[in-house]
Amino acid sequence: MENQTMVFTTVLIAMLCFLFGCTSVTVDQVRHQQSELHQGDSIVVIGRRTGSDYETEPDLISCIGSALSQANTALNVIAESDFVDKLYPWFEARTAPVHVRDLNRLLSYEKISKIIDDFKVQYIVWVDGNTEKTRSSGSISCGLSPTGGACFGFGTWDTKSEYEATIWDYKSRQLVGKISSVADGTSYMPAIVIPIPIIAPVQRHACKTMAKQLSDFFTIN
Amino acid sequence: MRVFTKILFIKVLLVTFLLSLLLISCKSTVDINGHFPSPVINQLPYSIGVIFNKEFSGYRYIEKSEKREKWEIHVGDAQVKMLNVVLKAMFSNMEVTSGFHSTSGNTLDLFFQPSLENFQYNVPYETQGNMFEVWLKYNMKVYDSQGQIIADWILTAYGKTPSAFFKSQEAALNDAMVIALRDLGAGLSLKFSQVPEINKWLIIQEKYNKTSTKIVKNNFVNQIEIGI
Repeated sequence: MENQTMVFTTVLIAMLCFLFGCTSVTVDQVRHQQSELHQGDSIVVIGRRTGSDYETEPDLISCIGSALSQANTALNVIAESDFVDKLYPWFEARTAPVHVRDLNRLLSYEKISKIIDDFKVQYIVWVDGNTEKTRSSGSISCGLSPTGGACFGFGTWDTKSEYEATIWDYKSRQLVGKISSVADGTSYMPAIVIPIPIIAPVQRHACKTMAKQLSDFFTIN
Repeated sequence: MRVFTKILFIKVLLVTFLLSLLLISCKSTVDINGHFPSPVINQLPYSIGVIFNKEFSGYRYIEKSEKREKWEIHVGDAQVKMLNVVLKAMFSNMEVTSGFHSTSGNTLDLFFQPSLENFQYNVPYETQGNMFEVWLKYNMKVYDSQGQIIADWILTAYGKTPSAFFKSQEAALNDAMVIALRDLGAGLSLKFSQVPEINKWLIIQEKYNKTSTKIVKNNFVNQIEIGI
């Protein structure tokens, strides 16, 4: 009986894995110094958008922000849009500080440092990277006639998410550490009369893993 | 048999209707709409009149190329909205005028007239990527209170946004356009004083105002604030 349950569970997991498409995630972390958060301190997660041929997705940034808040309710995460809008035009794609030392130049401007102080920001997390389709194959053809429509075929594609989070300590103006996350997954689309998409949630997994790693990165006092 | 023919006829009509609906919806129309925050910058102590001509405030791009999808992009309202926010933050007083004269009766130090010289966009299938991109090229002109040109320069802006699974083409292009307009606002607010001719004008004004302040002080007239 116990064996039967185990077999059933294994088959069910395998089926679910097939239904959602499989994803594998690799995470690396480099810590240069301790990262402590005190009561009332906040962190902000911002997308780096200087890449010429890709764009860090705003959805991914808000996903990391909300997953981070859920993973650790003691963390106060500022929404990217709130932070960037309040500090417009200093955190736009072409004007945002690239190196941590650039913060000194920016913060010499009193109005800016006051706004950031009002947010009670302790750490700024820059996320750079994107999710892209790396390979696709197969074909699906659909037909439409007065008696109805139908599709037939099979399609598959691979997706890769590569993101790197760089953590700056706003108060000490130092680089605290880096976290990188690489997720791969294959999605399928069999079509017998109707196409059935079996999507690998690669970006979502990359987001969840990154958020979990970031949550563990900070020690809350 | 007659009933079967009738049903078939209705089905053919339905399919034709659906196909024609698809053909009609091939043209995409976008009214650019977005949020433009006020920039955090040092305000210049001058008043400016802004001239938005009809071509600028009603600017719309209609794709004429046979090789591309049909797009109609209404940019006018959004660019006027953005410039209104940015210029209000840049100058101590800003008003929209129809020519080189104030409509409110206030004395204006400068007049500003923007024009959109070039608008270009790319959609993902054209670049083999997943990016919507927008390029804007503006010609900015600044005149003195007498309507004499001070500066005439080109300002470019760029915006891009990735396509997303549940995002329509129109929404993605709108987002790219809003990012480009924000980039324009950033470029204008941060580089305005660095345009050589404007910088020269500002230095002259500063010297003049200092002298004026001295004269005013010497005459014990409390008009320093208005910088006569």
